[in-house]
Amino acid sequence: MENLEAARLQMALTLIFHIVFACIGMVMPFFMVISHFKWLKTRKKIYLELTKAWQRGVAIFFVTGAVSGTALSFELGLLWPEFMKHAGPIIGMPFSLEGAAFFVEAIALGFYLYGWKKLPEKFHWFTGVIIGISGVASGILVVAANGWMNSPSGFDYENGVFSNIQPMEAMLNEAWFTQALHMTLAAFVATGFAVAGIHAFQIYKGKRKELHQKAFNISISIAAVAAILQPISGDISAKDIAERQPAKLAALEAHYETEKGAPLYIGGIVDEEHQEVNYKIEIPKALSFLAFGDFDAEVKGLNDFPKDEQPPVAIVHYAFQLMVALGTLLALAGVLYFLSLKFRNWQNSKKYWLFFVLLAPLGFVALEAGWIVTEVGRQPWIIYNVMKTKDAVTPMPGIFYSLLMYVGIYLLLTFVVSWLMWRQIRVLNQTKEEC
Amino acid sequence: MLTVVLFFLFFSLFLYVLLAGADFGAGIIELFSSRKNQELTKKTIYRVMGPIWEANHIWIIILIVILWIAFPAYYNIFVVYLHIPITLMLLGITMRGVAFIFRHYDAIKGKSQNWYNHLFKLGSFFSPLFLGMIFGGLVGGSINLYEENSSLGFKEIYVDSWFNPFSILIGLFYVALCSFIAANFLIGEAGEEDEKNAYKKKASYTTIILVLLGLVIILYGYFNDIAFVADFIENKISIIGIIISALVLIPLWIMIKKREKRWSRILAAVQVFLIVAAAMLAHFPHIIITSTNEISILNDVASDSVINSLGIALIIGGFLILPGLYHLMQSFQLIKLFKEKK
Repeated sequence: MENLEAARLQMALTLIFHIVFACIGMVMPFFMVISHFKWLKTRKKIYLELTKAWQRGVAIFFVTGAVSGTALSFELGLLWPEFMKHAGPIIGMPFSLEGAAFFVEAIALGFYLYGWKKLPEKFHWFTGVIIGISGVASGILVVAANGWMNSPSGFDYENGVFSNIQPMEAMLNEAWFTQALHMTLAAFVATGFAVAGIHAFQIYKGKRKELHQKAFNISISIAAVAAILQPISGDISAKDIAERQPAKLAALEAHYETEKGAPLYIGGIVDEEHQEVNYKIEIPKALSFLAFGDFDAEVKGLNDFPKDEQPPVAIVHYAFQLMVALGTLLALAGVLYFLSLKFRNWQNSKKYWLFFVLLAPLGFVALEAGWIVTEVGRQPWIIYNVMKTKDAVTPMPGIFYSLLMYVGIYLLLTFVVSWLMWRQIRVLNQTKEEC
Repeated sequence: MLTVVLFFLFFSLFLYVLLAGADFGAGIIELFSSRKNQELTKKTIYRVMGPIWEANHIWIIILIVILWIAFPAYYNIFVVYLHIPITLMLLGITMRGVAFIFRHYDAIKGKSQNWYNHLFKLGSFFSPLFLGMIFGGLVGGSINLYEENSSLGFKEIYVDSWFNPFSILIGLFYVALCSFIAANFLIGEAGEEDEKNAYKKKASYTTIILVLLGLVIILYGYFNDIAFVADFIENKISIIGIIISALVLIPLWIMIKKREKRWSRILAAVQVFLIVAAAMLAHFPHIIITSTNEISILNDVASDSVINSLGIALIIGGFLILPGLYHLMQSFQLIKLFKEKK
């Protein structure tokens, strides 16, 4: 395997892994403090039990996310030294602020985890809120740095020299808001459905129904709201990409020829060689409308871009389709949940719970697919229209072996963390109901 | 503003060496303890270090972010030529980090605990070893820049830079320093008399090893013409720093005997500070020494606008973080540095 491919795979793998842990570490504290709030308000022991169970989850995911994040902060330079040499100073702002936010989060976590019965109750609860807020802030700042790679700004670039650097302008690049909004909502959707699904499974099996029902309600109600809002954010993102990164739009829609009143393809198999999409469903003029709000707008096709500036089409197209399909499904599931609050008897059916069990991993699948769209869709650029990925990679050969090591570690960690969660739930179910 | 940035850079470095060092050291002590003492150490570490554990390890992220933002050219050499030991260090940090949290939060305390313990102890030993080797690689004069040496192979460029006796000695020195910090730290926390004696013994062993290793490094460097060591000896500030740190050992021992927890900790921290400062100042600003040249950290510093905004961000961040961290330490009385013993 070539060095560049190995480096890209290693980066992708690390990010795919880290994103799951980071999202859970970012969103679960909110579920935890809601349950904690209910404990303080109602003094029902069951909420305390739930809070403590979730707190163990937060601790495990936070640390795993933190160490994989530490590895990531080094990997940026280890794998892409040329990128970091030039981009480091420009996108330093969000990273240094992220460092601060992450620090605040770690301090708050220290207070929260060890503060039971030692700190005043309200202050203790509030440190939990800080964990959540600073976690989300960290996430948004990191996404802002990624936004800069898609929409580089805040510097002048001439003959390979970066000058006149404006860190604030770079941080507040055109892509940061749409990306941060989409990602934050996605984190809530993915984590919410995953947590809800796990508790739904316990209800499905008929274990400690009261506890798991409360856990389900807290996590799903937040996830459902986020899932219903997500398509709106997706629409904003699509219009933004149409404007800023036409090659990415063309790749994710698998559009080869420039045309006015472009149709939207749903599904289909991409034949990159013949530049065709087979077995697709075509909705006339829909792409032009979705991208530009005008049925007759011109959508640029891939062939308008030089061959060496075209992103891979098939993978981006499939990932995009998958993301949209799952996003739609989860939004509908969100509606279903709110309806089930009105039609209470739905929740008596085992099928209802099985449905949410099956949804559990799908939010994360959609989220990873979305990152594949944005990252692979930016290729061959590492900094859009400025620096190519192949020019940024480390000169050190043999990255393949480093990749193997990371694959090994992350498989092991994924296995162990899942196993730990399973053990947590088993112990939770064995505890006698106290209320 | 550059001064502010440099201040935060060295401040984070010092705190990482000290705080993460205490954490690594606790694991190393566990590695070299009898089974009974291992259990004790394990409990003590968790009680004492737990609440600030996550925060301790963020200093290295701050450090690396400052490096890449403000000193990109320097950072570039660092990540290209020391890729392998950095990766190995990350492996160690990851393994011990997750093992630390797994062994506490695993809902069922069974056989799996053995695995976590092994991982934690080994990771605690190897992480500081590689960290030290990275520093040894930076200043050991063994880096061969590939632009200048196109005929050299993988080993000469990417392995020899850090895998050499000098770097290994520096790595071992940091391992010993970590154990020294942890041993001194744990004495104050030990409850029972024989526990205390156990840590006292560890503290005296680690001190002896530390001093011996220091001497070996200086002798080795001196006889093998390692520029860093030669300059270290000639640099007045460095040598005075090291002499003071040796002298501080005496009051440190008196304080340990007297069980002055607060003072023994302050003195141990002072010692670490003097060692870090001496090592940094010996060659400042040339903190990379290649086989042919010296590279200054101040070469190709980022532009003023970048340095200014970073400086401001660090000051704001500092105001946000440091009081929080201080309160955290106080609330749990973990670092009783700030509190009188009752």
